[in-house]
Amino acid sequence: MSSPAAAPPPHIYRWDLDKTYLDTDFDSVLGLLRTAIQRPADKANIPGSSELLRELRVAAAGNAMIYFISGSPRQMRGVLVEKLKLDGIHFDGFILKDNLNNLLRMRFRAIKEQVGYKLPALLTARIGAPEGSRETLFGDDAERDALVYSLYADLLARRVDIHTLHRVLDLAGVYPDSREAIEDALGKLPRQDPVQRIIIHLDRKSPPMHFDVYGPRVVPVYNYFQAALTLFQDGRLGAGAVGRIGTALVERYEYTLPMLLRSFQDALRRQIIDRPAAVRLGAQVAGGGVSAEVVALFAREAEATPAPSRDAPPRLQPVPDYPALLAREQHRHQIEKARRRRISHWL
Amino acid sequence: MSSTVALDAMGGDHGVVAAVRAACQISLGRQTAVLVVGDRPRIEAELGRNRYDASFLSVHHASQAVPMDASPREALDTLPDASILVAARLVAEGAAASLVSAGNTGASVLACARHFRKLEGVPRTALAAVFPTETRRGEKADPFSLILDVGATLHVDADTLVAFAHMGSAYAACISRNPRPRVALLSNGAEPGKGPPEFVEAHRRLVDDPNIEFIGNIEGIDLPRGKADVVVTEGFTGNVVLKMLEGISETVVDVARYAYRSKLAWKIGLWMLRGGIVQLKQLTDWQQYGGAPILGFDHPFIKAHGRSNARALGNAIKVASKAASSGLCEQIERQLASSAERPR
Repeated sequence: MSSPAAAPPPHIYRWDLDKTYLDTDFDSVLGLLRTAIQRPADKANIPGSSELLRELRVAAAGNAMIYFISGSPRQMRGVLVEKLKLDGIHFDGFILKDNLNNLLRMRFRAIKEQVGYKLPALLTARIGAPEGSRETLFGDDAERDALVYSLYADLLARRVDIHTLHRVLDLAGVYPDSREAIEDALGKLPRQDPVQRIIIHLDRKSPPMHFDVYGPRVVPVYNYFQAALTLFQDGRLGAGAVGRIGTALVERYEYTLPMLLRSFQDALRRQIIDRPAAVRLGAQVAGGGVSAEVVALFAREAEATPAPSRDAPPRLQPVPDYPALLAREQHRHQIEKARRRRISHWL
Repeated sequence: MSSTVALDAMGGDHGVVAAVRAACQISLGRQTAVLVVGDRPRIEAELGRNRYDASFLSVHHASQAVPMDASPREALDTLPDASILVAARLVAEGAAASLVSAGNTGASVLACARHFRKLEGVPRTALAAVFPTETRRGEKADPFSLILDVGATLHVDADTLVAFAHMGSAYAACISRNPRPRVALLSNGAEPGKGPPEFVEAHRRLVDDPNIEFIGNIEGIDLPRGKADVVVTEGFTGNVVLKMLEGISETVVDVARYAYRSKLAWKIGLWMLRGGIVQLKQLTDWQQYGGAPILGFDHPFIKAHGRSNARALGNAIKVASKAASSGLCEQIERQLASSAERPR
């Protein structure tokens, strides 16, 4: 008797929470306070985030693992877990930042710093991941998610050497114990290339071109309908699920069909979804609770979109110059902070 | 209410860069969607550099553009895929509710004439412009008066002047939220019999018209005082008046600059008055006007200044959106219909 074929490894989805899953305001003191005292039911989602997560679980027929990694303090765990329960999200892991410990140890830099928190957390989590499992990561442009996630991917694949890593950690001002955790985890992990896609929610509407340096693996999206299109292209979601997410945005989140259509056009323009996939989507999306108007829009727009030039070379996945990128991000962060200060001063 | 504005991205001195920036800025407000019409590769390259909201911005390709100095009719005849023609067609087809262009004025008006319908009762379309005045008016304490026509039709008859009065009144009511704008004819004296025969005839017909708050004739001296909210005249005079007002404003600033450089005492005096000067400069800053509306078509069209930067174009888009969502064209048509029912 032959043994049954081994099940494929599960696909892992790792989500940031604030500004990726939840519509959190931590740009002002008032916003931070409000976030801290909000009840689970009062916490708002980024439109479509919970629908997308549920669809991802369903599409994988249970063979998916969902993890959250958030910069929120551990003390918020109860509220956040309750919020996810209310949204009907089943997750496999939830990592929160030990900010109380950072505060007690007077590690003030670590309270806001992302590289020294998320990188070891991701690497450590990967140690326990099923062999051969691939990953899709979700973050936003309010923090350094594109950089940290890309660095994580390139470290695992050994495309970034230890010398470059040290330069990044120096620049980020990562504390010694976090550096040790990163190197320990890396030592335990074999060379692998599991990160298939990094989806960045453009909460701050950063220019998409800012993310070109990370290569085609990083996809900046304006909303979760565009994320769904990316995941359809990657084979992680079916056409029906994409249509349902679009419909949910219209029915529950004050989107309109023209807004959805413009998002779809933008996705085609930026090649978040290529023309053949868009045509396929238009043909397959009917049924399953998807509004007929949405279906018609997809099909018509995909057909109307000009095919890219045959001479256009495929975009290659580069290995970014991480130290230079981090320096650029830090500089941009300073400018943005000054801009917000100016605005709040005049308002 | 959100509406879509078609923006001809290929016109104006700053071209695609200013147009795309303006569209991006407007999209972030999530109130008005912008349909950017023009050379897709150039627009897309510029889009990538800007912050925008994809749900409120779309692009439509047009492979040709009308040069600023081209002869309008000839250009439109030889450039069938010109951005202004395509944009006007898209508006006529319902893809957008209004149109903005900083390009060639003649070609823009002609493109509208080819694709838009002239409203019932409109003998000639009018190019209107706003100018700053002492008086504030309407719900928003608007410091601007409207003057029309400023160049679309050089000489007009009484019918056209009456239609201009109604179109201007409807515009002021919708855009400045001034429910009963005061309308006047620009003449060489306040008496009803002053001016050319067509002005005298227009005066006779407007004075008894209950659909309009007609205050009679005004003279040039009354313009900056803001005696009227809407000033009606023929295109030739209107254009001369408008350019003169712009010239005075620029001269005042130049004189102030000269004074600032000339004497220390004057420099100190100007420094002390700087708050007022900044306010005056803002008031006379054409970039915040949002462009000149072309009135009389069934869709609003805002002609932005050729020198418009992103800010000026953004303001033009806002005005176009407001004109569409406030039902400006319908209001003009209603007002003209009511006026036409009256015996002459």
